[in-house]
Amino acid sequence: MKLDRKIRMMDGAGGEAMEKLIKEIILQNLTLKSAGKISLDALDDGASISFEKNELVFTIDGHTVKPIFFPGGDIGRLAVSGTVNDLAVMGAKPLALAISLIIEDGFDSEELERIIKSIDTTAREVPVPIITGDTKVVDEKIGIFVISAGIGEAERLISDAGTQIGDFVLINGGIGEHGFAIMSKREGLEFKTTLISDVSPIWNIVEEVANAVGWENIHAMKDPTRGGISEALNEMALKAKVGIEIIEEYVPIKPAVQAAGEMLGISPFIMANEGKVVMLIAKGYEEDALRAMKRCKNGKDAAIIGRVTDAYKGRVVLKTRIGGRRFLERPMGDPVPRVC
Amino acid sequence: MKCIKITVNGVVQGVGFRPFVYRIAHKYGLKGYVKNLGDAGVEIVVEGEEKYIKNFEEDLKLRAPPLARVQEINEEILPLRGFEKFIIEESSKSYGGGESIIPPDVAICEDCLRELFTPTDRRYMYPFIVCTNCGPRFSIIESLPYDRENTSMDEFPMCDECRREYENPLDRRYHAEPICCNKCGPQYILLDKDNNPISGDPLKETAHLIDKGYIVAIKGIGGFHIACDARNGDSVRELRRRIGRREQPFAIMAKDMETVEKFAIVEEEEKGEMESYRRPITLLQKKSPFPLPESLAPGLHTIGVMLPYTGLHHILFHYSKSDVYVMTSANYPDFPMVKDNDRLGEIRDAVDYILLHNRRIVNRVDDSVVRFVDGKRAVIRRSRGFVPLPIGRTFKYDGIAMGAELMNSFSVVKKGNIYPSQYIGNTSKLEVMDFFQDALKRFRSLLSVEDIDLVIIDSHPLYNTSKLGSELDSEILKVQHHFAHIASIMAEKNIPEIIGIAIDAVGYGLDGKTWGGEIIEISNSGVRRLEHIEYYPLPGGDLASYYPIRSLIGLLSQVYELGEIEEILRERCPDAIKTLKYGSRELHMILSQIEKGINVAYTSSTGRFLDAIAVLLNIAYERTYEGEPAMKLESAAINGRDLRFEIEWEGGIKVHQLLSHIIESKERRRNLAYTAHVSLARALAQAAIYHAQEKGIKKIGASGGVAYNEIIMREMRRIIESEGFEFISTEEVPRGDNGISVGQAYIGGLYINGQVRRDEIG
Repeated sequence: MKLDRKIRMMDGAGGEAMEKLIKEIILQNLTLKSAGKISLDALDDGASISFEKNELVFTIDGHTVKPIFFPGGDIGRLAVSGTVNDLAVMGAKPLALAISLIIEDGFDSEELERIIKSIDTTAREVPVPIITGDTKVVDEKIGIFVISAGIGEAERLISDAGTQIGDFVLINGGIGEHGFAIMSKREGLEFKTTLISDVSPIWNIVEEVANAVGWENIHAMKDPTRGGISEALNEMALKAKVGIEIIEEYVPIKPAVQAAGEMLGISPFIMANEGKVVMLIAKGYEEDALRAMKRCKNGKDAAIIGRVTDAYKGRVVLKTRIGGRRFLERPMGDPVPRVC
Repeated sequence: MKCIKITVNGVVQGVGFRPFVYRIAHKYGLKGYVKNLGDAGVEIVVEGEEKYIKNFEEDLKLRAPPLARVQEINEEILPLRGFEKFIIEESSKSYGGGESIIPPDVAICEDCLRELFTPTDRRYMYPFIVCTNCGPRFSIIESLPYDRENTSMDEFPMCDECRREYENPLDRRYHAEPICCNKCGPQYILLDKDNNPISGDPLKETAHLIDKGYIVAIKGIGGFHIACDARNGDSVRELRRRIGRREQPFAIMAKDMETVEKFAIVEEEEKGEMESYRRPITLLQKKSPFPLPESLAPGLHTIGVMLPYTGLHHILFHYSKSDVYVMTSANYPDFPMVKDNDRLGEIRDAVDYILLHNRRIVNRVDDSVVRFVDGKRAVIRRSRGFVPLPIGRTFKYDGIAMGAELMNSFSVVKKGNIYPSQYIGNTSKLEVMDFFQDALKRFRSLLSVEDIDLVIIDSHPLYNTSKLGSELDSEILKVQHHFAHIASIMAEKNIPEIIGIAIDAVGYGLDGKTWGGEIIEISNSGVRRLEHIEYYPLPGGDLASYYPIRSLIGLLSQVYELGEIEEILRERCPDAIKTLKYGSRELHMILSQIEKGINVAYTSSTGRFLDAIAVLLNIAYERTYEGEPAMKLESAAINGRDLRFEIEWEGGIKVHQLLSHIIESKERRRNLAYTAHVSLARALAQAAIYHAQEKGIKKIGASGGVAYNEIIMREMRRIIESEGFEFISTEEVPRGDNGISVGQAYIGGLYINGQVRRDEIG
């Protein structure tokens, strides 16, 4: 896991290597990192700015996805969703977005227009205005990169470290859909049925649940993007120093995702989601929260998938379908076989 | 006149050592005392004529009881004390500073067996009969010194008659800590699966139920067995169905050696091992035709057999019409064996009846498993009868070696002596990890190892044992998996340098790739990988372990174009494609994975190579238990002929070359299977010999999971010895991952001694 002098793909893949890179090279060399209750050092989905009596939440996200158009979405929808979701999981209602485009010389203008229209459609779903931006054209063979920043306002800030023992773990639908959809499109893999990305803003879910159970009963949230729900849950368990037990058979997984995972030997638990939120809900409110999620069009398959315990602090335990329990590991990058 | 204090260390408690001392002290008219110490040693003070003391000391060394191991004797002259007699004193909690250990569990002895079936004996048909020479030891001990109050026999106060025997220095049960009888000792009861007691003699009824075809859980020494009549194919298949073991062979217990010889071939050394006090399960060659159901050990030429080792087993066979039982440990695959009465729920659905006793099992010990490979004992699972005895030593330090993941054990190192734990199992399961932690705590306490200098872990970043080890309060040292395999030979055989052939399934390599077919040097110039099987892709990583057709495709991709592979598979092993859950679609996916490098591991594994050959030859398509395809390949190769296919080994052992030979050949399957083994063995042996010559090292050793393979080991030995080198493997340390911790412990010693550097070993 040691970083050598060069930055490697693995260092940007989420997981422990990336955490090390961020902590050792980035956080160490920055001095002014705080403007409110949640600072850069918290490594949360965004940070907060104390402004008058309110707490504003600010976040930014670079999008480099290849292919730029994929089943279920495109880089434009992803850019809006990614930033809105980072705000949403901190309890912040999105107020405005800024979008920066870096475009390769020779990029098709019709494709660009499709992307911008997709940005617009997605922003209207939330709704959130795009109030500023920036455009660059470069020589490098990058296709297009979309960087989106967003600002939101939180009635009650929710950190990803707030998990408490006894909480229930909820998710608004099937896991791993975005990761496998991108992989199948990019690599030209033919699965039985088309895999469709779940890319979508989830502010509506957060708002619906908050209205149903109150902000104070949402103890922590995270959007399980890179590294999948495995990474998200591990981070939450580590930050709150609690154990999280997940029941494998309760975790919603679409048959197409299941099949892709089984054929490739890749666990859907480590594959990215772009329209999901993991919520840690106070005991006694989990059923209300679940019903609220299910009322949303992107929450029909929501489920309660586990519980927070005081055993195995800092770790995530998976109660497997075949019986027995094992640790759900943070993703590693390359496969490292262990079965004799 | 003289007075001396003697401290004896080794295996000296629980083996009749104090009565032995008492007897020789009396023989020479010496006065004083003997007592057990809190660290499992024994302290003796004798006063008397100098020449008699001398005779006494000689007897102490030479005439110790059969189970005792005197490892160290320290003497100190004391001022005369004027003792009036020689007595056995109460045990003390104090430490002698030496190193002692309680003995393993010992099979029932001839004397007790005779009494067991003597109608006039007061322990007639009492299954818990023991004496100072036999019975449970490690499995019942809580803490030291080894006295009844520190064992689970504490709950059974002795009756007057037992106490008289216990206190009489001339009785053969003098200070036999688990002494008991029908009046005061533990009892069996028989229950149906809903916990209703069954009336009548529980043992007699159990025997009858088994005869009728029922499946019964039986509580024994180190845990529960699940038993049924091994002659009854329906019962055996029903048991498979209930515990979800499709193919994994069942161990069986036969009434006596005569019975064993009806269905298996037993060589002299196998007989000796089976009849030893350890009574391990021994893998024997099946007789042909095999008169027992094929479903006991499907597709294998061997069958695991053990002889009765407790009074209970002898009594059951006495009442039973059947003379062979399936005796498999009571657990679902990969779970720890059930040992506690209150955990019976875990296996209730698998059994019809439960034969239970009320003595607590403190330490879980599975039955040990051995196989004689090329004439030498190879331990596959080291547990009952072996543990907690030490194996070998290294440079002086105190530490813990955590082992690997599957088939795991740990080792505790005390002053450089290596004490491997009992078999722990698959530590990727948290249930097994809990057992690991309990066992580690107990082992450290029994060995009085509190502060440690070093914790040694496997290099694999995901093993739970590595993570747990990193959390222990000590310096952490990573050791590469196959270096540890080879080092285990050095630990056991006490040799300072070796060229090692690590033939294994998978282990995490120094380069992040998955190793498993390695030529390794360990000497005073360091630790080094010299040669290896050329890397081939494993599409899907661990998925290739379960579906070995993936390994086959990976190997074929080293020889053929991806487009040709499907055709080869369809022609040579079309049924293998059907075992893939998604059939042809999955096959195409696997080819795409290799082409595009999606979730592909790269490996030099010997085990995966053998698995692949098993698929290509239509011998096995799936791994439902560890080693299955490779084991079945070996069985299919028995009596095969060498077709002398050659593999190049310079600059990478090119095992994939064998595939095209096999694909182009029209030879019989048996010959191809045999040839795959010997061709591989030749290439590995030649590579090892070349490097041994280069380095001037005289000993070549082999270890790893494939070192249980008779054909490969025999061929390597033949070639290596013909070139004038010595060929060795372990006979005590398990060659598979159950023995990893011993090699780790050994390398820990080299590190402490400054002989190896951190960066070259893990």
